[in-house]
Amino acid sequence: MSKHDTPMMDDLEKGPWPSFVSDLKRQAAKSPQCWDILGQMEQSYKDKITHWKHGGIVGVFGYGGGIVGRYSDLPDKFPGVAHFHTVRLNQPSSKFYTTEILRKLCDLWEKRGSGMTNFHGSTGDLVLLGTKTDELEPLFYDLTHDLNWDLGGSGSNLRTPANCIGKSRCEWACYDTDAVCYAMTMKYQDEIHRPAFPYKFKFKFSGCPNDCVAAIARSDLAVIGTWRDAIRINQAEVKNYISGANKPNGGAHSKGSKFDIQKEVISLCPTGCMWMEGDTLKIDDAECTRCMHCLNVMPKALRPGTDQGATIMMGAKAPILDGAQLATMIYPFIKLDAENEFEGLVEIIEKVWDWWMENGKNRERLGETMQRISLPVFLRVLEVEPIPQHVKEPRSNPYVFWREEEVEGGWERDVKEFRKRNAM
Amino acid sequence: MAMSKEELKAAILDKAMKSPKPQLYVKDFYACDPDAKPRDVKNAANDLVKEGKMTFWSSGSTTMYAAKGRAKDEESRGT
Repeated sequence: MSKHDTPMMDDLEKGPWPSFVSDLKRQAAKSPQCWDILGQMEQSYKDKITHWKHGGIVGVFGYGGGIVGRYSDLPDKFPGVAHFHTVRLNQPSSKFYTTEILRKLCDLWEKRGSGMTNFHGSTGDLVLLGTKTDELEPLFYDLTHDLNWDLGGSGSNLRTPANCIGKSRCEWACYDTDAVCYAMTMKYQDEIHRPAFPYKFKFKFSGCPNDCVAAIARSDLAVIGTWRDAIRINQAEVKNYISGANKPNGGAHSKGSKFDIQKEVISLCPTGCMWMEGDTLKIDDAECTRCMHCLNVMPKALRPGTDQGATIMMGAKAPILDGAQLATMIYPFIKLDAENEFEGLVEIIEKVWDWWMENGKNRERLGETMQRISLPVFLRVLEVEPIPQHVKEPRSNPYVFWREEEVEGGWERDVKEFRKRNAM
Repeated sequence: MAMSKEELKAAILDKAMKSPKPQLYVKDFYACDPDAKPRDVKNAANDLVKEGKMTFWSSGSTTMYAAKGRAKDEESRGT
């Protein structure tokens, strides 16, 4: 039985989609505080302001992340959500769960919290929504001792690393995203659990340029699988696509019309690096920008090359303080080797952190620091030689300049001598 | 020459107690020892939290440090 009159919330149950309002009402049968969430949201819709105060000193002992304090500014009216803290859990790599662990987690969360969850937050964490301060330490004890499960990152910490499904299921993965994500999560436990930086820092690991974890848009340091040799072409399967024996896109988006390789693949190549010679598909691999369109349309015919590794991009962010920013390509290709514990990647990460910790302003993401201080300086710090691919196109953003020591004769010149040849 | 870890911790705690702002970012402590590496300052501040002399305050997206008792505490404000 509803505790508050919530006509605007009730309206959100009327569309054709699953409704979080219906979910909350169902959960309220077990967790009465869910009525107060609905009541407070209705109040916010009426007042057109949030009634959540965020932030606080709550946490579990020894940790400086993973718990986000949440308080209602109308605690007398909605006592069930007077304290309603969020708990972030480190999701397993690729988000593989067993039913058994999920049942145990749900039982624990109904005992210690509201029972409401969010699978998953945009960083990737499994999010438990709403508990009281007194329940935090017992919840943490049960999570770590009974479920062998740890908290994720929040605040100015390394945020919980996230990866795509990678080689565990996907034939396009150019490196083992599960292995790298797990290795970095374990190596940087201190940075995940205790604040270290001017602001949040996110890693994301995508196995191929399809970028299923949106690393290029969301992470300060994106590791995106790629290859540096030629796309593998199976010409017999190309012919099967052309004849209609193979369905393009694995049968998705099919409108029943005959597949037209010229219209649906070759003409859509952003660099125009593909063409047909008779019934043979040709690719000028040096011009390929890894858009993945041809591989996605014809997966039986085209596969990534065999010399595989990753491109490292940096500086992406969602729009919180400044506008949204996509990542900038910094290292076109590195090898990722589990045998040496991914030392090439570790070296890059720590060089970036050292520079950003020293130069980043409070609440400034890496991408904002890069933009403020300039890409040439950033490349110099990382000891990366500028290459044409660092620049979108000449003249529209010519932000890589020569330095005096790189120019023969430096900046000094004899003006009189110059004027003899170039009169004013 | 950089301070010893204990000297650095004492300087951080002193700043946290005397600063007009009750909550400070980790970068605000860099000036306690200009010769110390940012990572050492961070580790010293985190040690002080473990020892119960300082506390974290987090909005969820960013984290600040405060001397024990100085942080804005919603619960002690009766919410």
